Amino acid sequence: MAPPAALGAVSHTRGTLDDGGGTTSRDRIVHNRAVKTLVFIPAWNEEHSIEAVIADAREHLPRTDLLVIDDGSTDRTAARARRAGAMVASLPFNQGVGAAHQTGYIFALAHGYEVCGQLDGDGQHPASELARLLAAVESGEADLVVGSRFAGDSDYRASRARRGGQRLFSMLVSSATGQSFTDTTSGMRALNHRTMGQFARRYSSEFAEVESLQQAVRAGLTVRELPVEMLPRTEGHSFITPLVSAFYIFKTLVVLLVGQLRPRTTGPDGRP
Amino acid sequence: MRVLLATTEPVVRLTPQARIIAAVLALAFMLLILDLIRRDRLLERYSIVWFLLGLAMLAGAAFPILLELLARALGVRDVTIALFSAVLLLLLGLALNFSVIASRQARQITRLAQQSAIETIEQPGELESTRPEIDRG
Repeated sequence: MAPPAALGAVSHTRGTLDDGGGTTSRDRIVHNRAVKTLVFIPAWNEEHSIEAVIADAREHLPRTDLLVIDDGSTDRTAARARRAGAMVASLPFNQGVGAAHQTGYIFALAHGYEVCGQLDGDGQHPASELARLLAAVESGEADLVVGSRFAGDSDYRASRARRGGQRLFSMLVSSATGQSFTDTTSGMRALNHRTMGQFARRYSSEFAEVESLQQAVRAGLTVRELPVEMLPRTEGHSFITPLVSAFYIFKTLVVLLVGQLRPRTTGPDGRP
Repeated sequence: MRVLLATTEPVVRLTPQARIIAAVLALAFMLLILDLIRRDRLLERYSIVWFLLGLAMLAGAAFPILLELLARALGVRDVTIALFSAVLLLLLGLALNFSVIASRQARQITRLAQQSAIETIEQPGELESTRPEIDRG
């Protein structure tokens, strides 16, 4: 259960990081620590939105390295991302979002990044919001910070069915972890070295966002949700139909149940 | 007690015709396995279990007493039912075993794909042209 006080404290830093001027003392403290930060963007056939996502990240996260993880795209996603100035890691074939995320964690660990953040490639995640999540991880407040559309009084609009589905997922994950979550499918996250290590070793290939929350909590990592604003999808559309939703819910149940039975994974030093 | 014993005594047995067909099929099956190994279509490590299955089929056809012992052990009177049950369980076990193997290989493929993806960071722009030729299963 995230104490409301902690959420309030981080919301407070929002203004200082959002104005982008880098003039406040808070900003200097954060950036003078020179925390080596990677922001990666998993993308599968996002050629229409990827350049805008990279430009947004360049503007609001100027001190981070950008990596696009092209999950076997068949369009020009990789070429456009490179043109926009990001590093691009191309998976040879589509492996699913879980494998794409894990590629980011493996790369970040191998290259000594201390903190990493993730943005979706479809343009739903404003980079300025991720900056707040990264700041929360850098300050040591949590090992994994997830941006939630539903935690605060966000005006993210979703259909009633989608909200209902989200609520059900939240209920399932909350009861499995004993910690309250409001947005279990959010792909906007920031995490530190410990969490990267945990996820690089093992990461769900089926239902990455949902199962990784459970995995992190069970590994003893501190997981926090912060309210964020997200934009409606600009390109493409969600493929969630009632039948698919029902299947997802069933799958989530099975995945979480299996997750509960899994041995808690810790590192060689006994820490996550 | 006599009633109980009577029910466990197998009464339905394989006919000689069925035994001949089974023996011929078992021999053909083992030849097929050998041929698949010879043409590198099947790794030895996966062929052993199939070869043993072929041998078991042949033994069952040649020595009906084995099947009757099996039926008695399972407590069924019909030898054919004992045969079906045993084969079904065996196939179930094999199918599960192959799912485990497929899962392990999927994980290995993912790791390889991830390593190869990280390597592509260093060599921009070369992969796009080769992409469409990759078979997407």
